[in-house]
Amino acid sequence: MNTVQPLELLTILIAEDSAADRMLLASILRRQGHAVLTAANGAEAVDVFRELRPHLVLMDAMMPVMDGFEAARQIKALSGENLVPIIFLTSLSENEALARCLEVGGDDFLAKPYNQVILAAKIKAMDRLRRLQATVLQQRDQIARHHEYLLNEQRVAKAVFDKVAHSGCLNAAPNIRYLQSPYALFNGDLLLAAYTPAGDMHVLLGDFTGHGLPAAVGAMPLAEVFYGMTAKGYGVSETLREMNAKLKRILPVDMFCCAILLCLSFQRRSVEVWNGGMPDGYLHHIADGEREPLAARHLPLGVLSPESFDDRTEVHPMAIGDQVFLLSDGVVDTCNADDQLFGVERLQQVFAANRQPDAVFEEIKQALRDFGGESRDDVSMVEISLLEPAQISPPALMYSDSGQSCPLDWSVSFEFRAATLKRFNPLPYLLQLLLEVHGLRAQSGALYSVLAELYSNALEHGVLGLDSSLKRNASGFARYYQQRSVRLEALEDGYIRVNLQVAPRDEGGCLTIHVEDSGKGFDVVRVMERPLDDVRLSGRGISLIRQLGRNAQWTDNGRSARVEFFWKALA
Amino acid sequence: MPVVTEISPDGKKLTISIKGRFDFAKHQEFRESYEKNHLSAIVVDLKEATYLDSSALGMLLLLRDHAGGESADIRVVNSSSDVRKILAISNFDKLFDIS
Amino acid sequence: MADKHLDPDVLSALREVMEDEYPKLLDTFLADSEARLNRLHATEDTAQLIEAAHSLKGSSGNLGANRLAELCSQLEHNANSMPSQSIKKLIAEIDDEFAIVRPLYEAERQRSLTES
Repeated sequence: MNTVQPLELLTILIAEDSAADRMLLASILRRQGHAVLTAANGAEAVDVFRELRPHLVLMDAMMPVMDGFEAARQIKALSGENLVPIIFLTSLSENEALARCLEVGGDDFLAKPYNQVILAAKIKAMDRLRRLQATVLQQRDQIARHHEYLLNEQRVAKAVFDKVAHSGCLNAAPNIRYLQSPYALFNGDLLLAAYTPAGDMHVLLGDFTGHGLPAAVGAMPLAEVFYGMTAKGYGVSETLREMNAKLKRILPVDMFCCAILLCLSFQRRSVEVWNGGMPDGYLHHIADGEREPLAARHLPLGVLSPESFDDRTEVHPMAIGDQVFLLSDGVVDTCNADDQLFGVERLQQVFAANRQPDAVFEEIKQALRDFGGESRDDVSMVEISLLEPAQISPPALMYSDSGQSCPLDWSVSFEFRAATLKRFNPLPYLLQLLLEVHGLRAQSGALYSVLAELYSNALEHGVLGLDSSLKRNASGFARYYQQRSVRLEALEDGYIRVNLQVAPRDEGGCLTIHVEDSGKGFDVVRVMERPLDDVRLSGRGISLIRQLGRNAQWTDNGRSARVEFFWKALA
Repeated sequence: MPVVTEISPDGKKLTISIKGRFDFAKHQEFRESYEKNHLSAIVVDLKEATYLDSSALGMLLLLRDHAGGESADIRVVNSSSDVRKILAISNFDKLFDIS
Repeated sequence: MADKHLDPDVLSALREVMEDEYPKLLDTFLADSEARLNRLHATEDTAQLIEAAHSLKGSSGNLGANRLAELCSQLEHNANSMPSQSIKKLIAEIDDEFAIVRPLYEAERQRSLTES
């Protein structure tokens, strides 16, 4: 086939029925350095072309057997994508005939009598065009090849990512509904959900800057931190600090991840929220139909250094049936054919028109379809409902050790003082310690919940002196958590002591947890007399401890709490 | 659509004006506008900027990093309400003086 | 005198291009032209007349026989509108013109052989 030659030496086909003219042209062309093929009629021209594929054709219009027009048409068809210039040799003067030459694909004319200078110039010009076309095709093919490679790289990256960042409990949880394109990853969209050991749920909706692999590559380390820390029982703030530090360290300066992270607690009936740079989330209260916006109060992850990072969260109370709604900016940024944005107003309209809370998710999807926007890979939405704790069943934790060497008779004491209480959450560590005892593993959820309650009571009511009755209503709730923040920051003195004892008992064993705080205590008798109440926002902690553990006791005016866990021997 | 720079008469302040869309297409020009300078007082004028996206936010972060990070003095002025909204959601007013 | 019938500049350009092939070109032209003239005489069909005239016009022009080319052009463009008497007259003129240029080409051919 044709190769693109560096010099202008071409193989040229002369299709001309007059022998003298043919001879003359051939000589002119050879003198110019080209190689020459000849044909005496249109059919011969097509055959020669098909066999030998010259670079350029000089075609006489009037020829016997097949005329130049038909031959030109056939040759153009044979040459496909490649440009084979056809210069018509003609003494036709009528415009019609000339028009016909162009119609069949002729690129230029040469009048008789032949002028060598003009012929040479035309050949040169046509050759330039021919080579331009060849270059374009080459580059197009190169681009297509590279595109294939990129697509393949993405496929591989996605496969790796899917293994690393398994979809957590997104698909298994009955209270989550979500919408996400399988290739959302390459628009930087990330949606993760996982249970904590206590049965709470952490959900992260993230949006990395950029597109393609750079946007996807940050998602893996982030997902590892999220899943790892959530499984160990770390809270939202600690997880955020780690995620921010990691991204700040590994991402280039101009890359960051907008994210909204929340912890939904079925037991405490609250949601803890942190929004760094994402569009408003919405907390829908079923009772009054109000949708509270959860606006971004923080910079995205990966921007601030660990020292400057702000991990303060907002806590909102929730009732059974309430929903949290999160969406990525792909929803609001969806454009229709007239370049209009879907926008926040339209979203609000869907919310306002909604009558059945269960249907709002579908209604938004429908509204986007009706809007006629182009479907995008970065439209991500998630709806999380607060259900009865009994309806939620976190999967059992998997353990990798053999179970042969297990500590069965030991005790340990800790004293966490003010400086530590401010910045350190000992719960994941304590839980890990306890889970070394195999007999306790089946109760890890209850264990964590009880430990968390004991610790938070000791910290909030004991050391910080907060009044739990503040949490009676929604505004009090917000104030409570605000005060908690302020007092914790200002803390100078105080302590929480934790003592754990594990001893064999009958065929199994017993764990005794002892938590003591430096606070003022409370009226134990009065609190114990209250009936176990599910609906009130405050005062549930004690009930929980009494329900999940055994022999719960409060002594020393409420400053000292004690509870036991038992287990039978494992088969 | 250009990125225009101007140094104040006393040589202490650099003003960078963005015209049109502030997006990835301006990446190189924007960087070149401050790279050779080591002034720590910089004003980014968005009066004629019609649009701002996340890559523009990234470019501002690069600028901040170049100008001293935490100690940089960068003001983003004349933002339209649309631009302000974007800067507000991303909380960039915590990093830059925005008006 | 010969200039009117045969353009010497064209001939010398041809000679330069063709070099050793020059005599062969002249021979080919003469043979081709004779064949076309015969067709002009043999056919009654106007379309074929036009085709033959067109062809002859082309090659005569290339070979510098300008008057011959001019006559063929006339026949080509007017054959459809001329009465057959006029057509026959024009063909006779073409014959005559060819009869003039033919020996000129042959002489030219001889000259090129001896001069090379």
